[in-house]
Amino acid sequence: MKSGLRSEVFEKLSRIAGAISSPEVMEWKKKGGKVIGYTCSFVPEELFVAAGMLPFRIRATGSQDAGKADDYFEAANVCSLIRHTFGKILSGEYDFIDGAVIGGGCDGGRHILDNWEKSPAKIPFLERIFIPHASNELTAGYFHDQLARLKARMEEHFGIKIGDDKLRDAIRLCNEIRGLQRELYAFRISDNPPITGAETVAAIVAGSSMPKQEYRDDLKKLIGELKAVVVPEKKYTARVMIVGPGHDDASLCDIVESLGGLVVADLTCFGGKVMFGSVKEDGADPLQAIADYQVLIRPFCPKNLGAHPSINKELFAKIKEFKVGGVIGQIFLCCDTWGGEIHILGKEFRAAGVPLLRIERECTSDSTGQLQTRVQAFIETISGGAL
Amino acid sequence: MTFGGIDLGSTTGKAVVIIDDKIILGDIVMATPKPAVTARMAMDAALKNAGIASLQSLDYIVSTGYGRLKVEFANENISEISCHAKGAFHLMPSVRTIIDIGGQDCKAIALNDKGGTLGFEMNERCAAGTGRFFQVMAKVLGCGLEGIGAAANISPTAANISNQCSVFAESEIITLVNNDVPLPDVITGINKSVASRVSSLARRAGVAEDVVISGGCYNNEGLISALGQCLGVEIMKLPLNPQFMGALGAAVFAKEKAAAKTAAK
Repeated sequence: MKSGLRSEVFEKLSRIAGAISSPEVMEWKKKGGKVIGYTCSFVPEELFVAAGMLPFRIRATGSQDAGKADDYFEAANVCSLIRHTFGKILSGEYDFIDGAVIGGGCDGGRHILDNWEKSPAKIPFLERIFIPHASNELTAGYFHDQLARLKARMEEHFGIKIGDDKLRDAIRLCNEIRGLQRELYAFRISDNPPITGAETVAAIVAGSSMPKQEYRDDLKKLIGELKAVVVPEKKYTARVMIVGPGHDDASLCDIVESLGGLVVADLTCFGGKVMFGSVKEDGADPLQAIADYQVLIRPFCPKNLGAHPSINKELFAKIKEFKVGGVIGQIFLCCDTWGGEIHILGKEFRAAGVPLLRIERECTSDSTGQLQTRVQAFIETISGGAL
Repeated sequence: MTFGGIDLGSTTGKAVVIIDDKIILGDIVMATPKPAVTARMAMDAALKNAGIASLQSLDYIVSTGYGRLKVEFANENISEISCHAKGAFHLMPSVRTIIDIGGQDCKAIALNDKGGTLGFEMNERCAAGTGRFFQVMAKVLGCGLEGIGAAANISPTAANISNQCSVFAESEIITLVNNDVPLPDVITGINKSVASRVSSLARRAGVAEDVVISGGCYNNEGLISALGQCLGVEIMKLPLNPQFMGALGAAVFAKEKAAAKTAAK
């Protein structure tokens, strides 16, 4: 079910989210701007914004075939998202970026860097940062050192200086965007929101694929329009939350919403996780503030040791706030990180009487027949039967 | 009033007509490359058996199965999981677990005492534990599906089939045949292997008695026997051809939907 949203600015954000390159990015490049690609939501965009660059989240949008990428991965048990993302890199669709930073959040993600280095897809600046798997003062300090090293490498390679003032400006801009994203996200607390789950995913994904200031202005405009719009009365059959790894492809939301349901919330790397909380703006060391944010404030990733209680707490809070009727736990093939987490969550959901549909699939949007059957049956079940 | 239910599965099409409370089954129609054509053939067979001249005489039609969205003459579609549950519970209100082994998938559905779906599990992207697996093995053994399902082929000394992948299991079975392992032992091994996989799926959904089988594998006596052993329950028999459970559930839904719409007016 579409919201019936009529908005030029939304159409623009949706177009940007639905492809990799866009006229907006090309315009940025034409003006001499640099674009830096990154993987994993724990790689801080603030550092790139402070460097005057456009941070671009590397994703697998539109991938149907990871065949070439499979030649590089030595083991068959590499997550579908990683294989397809690297397939996109090999296809040349990321040739427009001036550099890339690979976050070692999960082991699969780390393999992108290893394979990129030995592939013909050459890139002038390719760096990694290790993302701590534990949340404490010690690892926040370690992550600060990782960021400082990356900052120095960027300054050296690009011939720039990233000062504390620029970092603080970048923190303020990214915080403002996170606040706006939360405002957009919260529309679906209402029973009859002006925007659907699939539309929200598109509006959030666009944020990591276009110039930040332009995105901030577009998001403000979109929120203004959504506040003003008179929403026609609609009755959704089920309010669903999606939990799992990167989810830039809204095909699962589309399936839920084509069946009369509404995706009201999520805990995914392209959705609810990216907008959580804020980086401290008045700290003495802005780089440490960024590190603290990523390591201490938002540990909602099963890659983190001991993260489960905070994931559980965040999920159950969202279930209550967004009046969630059922959860879809989506795992991409061979993503053991989320596979284990959803197994644990499944027991907790069952104990709390929260219906869970566990889906394991390729990250591409093909083979939707069986997926549609399972989602339809799930919606029929949680909405009190097919009647 | 008359109602229609049509189940357009991956390998067959089935339709059921309900006239007041009377259930009339159609025929099992083999799927054609065009789902819309299969749907019409299946429904025409049910109409003929019901003595109804035209499709327009049906007051409400619900479609289900993988081809449910392709049934142009249906008023709406409902998933086969809900329809199998509805059909089986309609015939046997004591049912709490349905195991549906279809042509290319396999599902276990847990019901509450009102016939509502408590939960379900479904195989993902693999032919193991489905009718397709049996088709492949029947071809290798040259005994036909009848041979795989025959009670006469249940053996106390089952061969061990360790692979559940249809492709690898095929080569394993060729080896057994080449080693002169008796056919009933191989067949019992195949049925036990599928039963093991399906019972694991059923346990994840939650097994409670009565347990019934729907779908095309219902008449495989070796499988039913092995499943009963794996689950430690007696598999009950539905009073109508279990291959029609999806279509029957769709027809019952059609009747309920029509009543709800009339009441709402």
